[in-house]
Amino acid sequence: MSATTAYQRLSLEGERKSALDVARNRLMVAVLLFFAAFAVMVIRTVELGLSTPETKQVAERQIVIPPVKVARADILDRNGEVLATNLETSSLYANPSEIKNPADVAARLVAVLPDLSLSEVEEKLSSDRKFVWLKRKLSPREKWEVNALGVPAFQFQREEERVYPHGRLAAHALGYVDVDGNGLGGVEYFFNDRLNDAGRTDEPIKLALDIRVQYALTDELEAAMSAHRAIGAAGIVMDVNSGEVIALASLPDYDPNDIRGVASQQRFNRATQGVYELGSTFKTFTFAAALDQGIATLEDGYDATKPLRIARFTIRDDHPKARYMSLPEIFAYSSNIGTAQMALDIGAERQQKFLRDLGFLDTTNLELAEVGSPIYPATWRKSSTMTISYGHGIAVSPVQLVNGIAAMVNGGRLIPATLTHNDDNWRQGQQVISQNTSRKIRQLLRLAVTKGTGGRSEAVGYRVGGKTGTAEKAVAGGYDRKALISSFVGVFPMDDPQYVVFALLDEPRGTKETFGYRSGGWVAAPVVKNVILRSAPLLGVAPKREDEGLYQQVALMIEED
Amino acid sequence: MRRMITICAAVTALASGAAVLQLKLAVQEKAEAVEALAQKIHEDREAIRVLEAEWAFLTTPRSLQEKSIRFLALMPPNAEQVVTDITRIPFRPKGVEAGEDPGVLLPTRAKPEEKPKNDKADEDKKGQSL
Repeated sequence: MSATTAYQRLSLEGERKSALDVARNRLMVAVLLFFAAFAVMVIRTVELGLSTPETKQVAERQIVIPPVKVARADILDRNGEVLATNLETSSLYANPSEIKNPADVAARLVAVLPDLSLSEVEEKLSSDRKFVWLKRKLSPREKWEVNALGVPAFQFQREEERVYPHGRLAAHALGYVDVDGNGLGGVEYFFNDRLNDAGRTDEPIKLALDIRVQYALTDELEAAMSAHRAIGAAGIVMDVNSGEVIALASLPDYDPNDIRGVASQQRFNRATQGVYELGSTFKTFTFAAALDQGIATLEDGYDATKPLRIARFTIRDDHPKARYMSLPEIFAYSSNIGTAQMALDIGAERQQKFLRDLGFLDTTNLELAEVGSPIYPATWRKSSTMTISYGHGIAVSPVQLVNGIAAMVNGGRLIPATLTHNDDNWRQGQQVISQNTSRKIRQLLRLAVTKGTGGRSEAVGYRVGGKTGTAEKAVAGGYDRKALISSFVGVFPMDDPQYVVFALLDEPRGTKETFGYRSGGWVAAPVVKNVILRSAPLLGVAPKREDEGLYQQVALMIEED
Repeated sequence: MRRMITICAAVTALASGAAVLQLKLAVQEKAEAVEALAQKIHEDREAIRVLEAEWAFLTTPRSLQEKSIRFLALMPPNAEQVVTDITRIPFRPKGVEAGEDPGVLLPTRAKPEEKPKNDKADEDKKGQSL
């Protein structure tokens, strides 16, 4: 301030200013300019330092984490366990024009990648091209070894590989993919577009499968298959109240990680693709139809003294009692004669409608491409009605049977089977039989285990009910008496059904332990029992003492002899 | 006086300039750290995918069962062993009554002949299940 007034005074006195004053004034101008500049800098400094706090600056910055990009969505089981995932891998290619001595390089490469053919690699490396594929999808170790060779002409291309960490487990449900990651089987094929949808690759598909139950089922089926030298086996575990498939096994199976050289026999899904005449397990549906439509009551009975003759067939019993049998006895002792007579009372039309309502005459809607269509007679004769009543003359896939049994025991609602984890699936259910009939069927199934042919499925504590099924395999022009399809369908716990467990063995042979028997009650029922013993604790079904009163009334009608 | 003001101004300007520069560098450093962190998170997420697959592979029920048979003296529980009511769990015995805790590991080191015996027991169990 004082500098400014001094300057004014000096300029007013103007006339006598000396050369010194002029210099002084000019200097003052320069000083003022500097002051102004400093002032601006100070203000700017303060502004930068205080006006926008650092925290706010950072908060406003968008922190972008690069997303993990995969080409195909994962598949998980119902508990979130990884069943199929895409992992990064490398494919090896080379630029042959950079290689001077192809023979030597080829020999060194084949030494670390022994599955390549030396002559082929040599030929590729001696070509004039600039780019040749040498091997696709190397393991990390292989990649490291190739890098250790130190050949600059070898390059890697980032690729993705579909990995199934559980190997063979649930292979038929999962399916497999080709080298470019397109699904070729199982849910991989069925949901291919969804899995490859670029916008949704970070959303995995959750299946209804429980990998632990899947293993229990597969392990027991494998053991039974080798013990009975069967050519194949199939098994299903289904939640009766939601229609969800908890486990689905078909043997022989394959490793989806490496599908080269897998025979079509191994790829064949016996649980959904194979259609079989499943034998006596079908009696459950005949009984349900008769009880539900009031054609027979549990107090009725049929004469099973001697075999029935119809057209060119003779209907015999596998466990003949040769006497008048009550309905619970017919079911527990699996009498074909009694069931066939009951089917005649139902009639072809009502039987056909009932089976259609249960979906046995259509292909199942399960989320797999590998589903077999049922086989049944085009013209439904009297003899068809009788044989179909005990499961001959109609061939359905195991998953259809299990779905039907689930409807019989869950209070009468047919809920479509599903492989995906879906809490709302039960809403799609349709009432096919009454609650009351369902309760009677539950009693019959339980008594078939406690008193009838299914005794070897009794898993103590878990109140198993079930029905055996043994059928001769159909061959050209008749049946092969030597080749059986032995199955057992079990439900537990019978006082509040939760799960259906089905086991099927294809052409089992008798062993010393089964006294040469190879029927469903001998070979398949123990599988179901073991699967229940192993999986019930996993599925949260508590063992408890049985309420005998539930079955007492019906049990009295079964005469044991 | 004037000189004082000039010096003061110069010092202030220098100091504040240095402070601003330092602040800017610090912010830049932080931004770089954030970016590196984001990249690390990305890499970790990729690694987690691989580890999840590996975990699933290593804990597949088949290999768990094999390891359990090899190392543990445990058998699948039967229905009587499943206690559904919490009040039925007995208290742990104390004092003289309390026996030695048998543990869950196979006593392979202590008694080498124990192992084949256990394998046989397992075979028996398998035999039953067939």
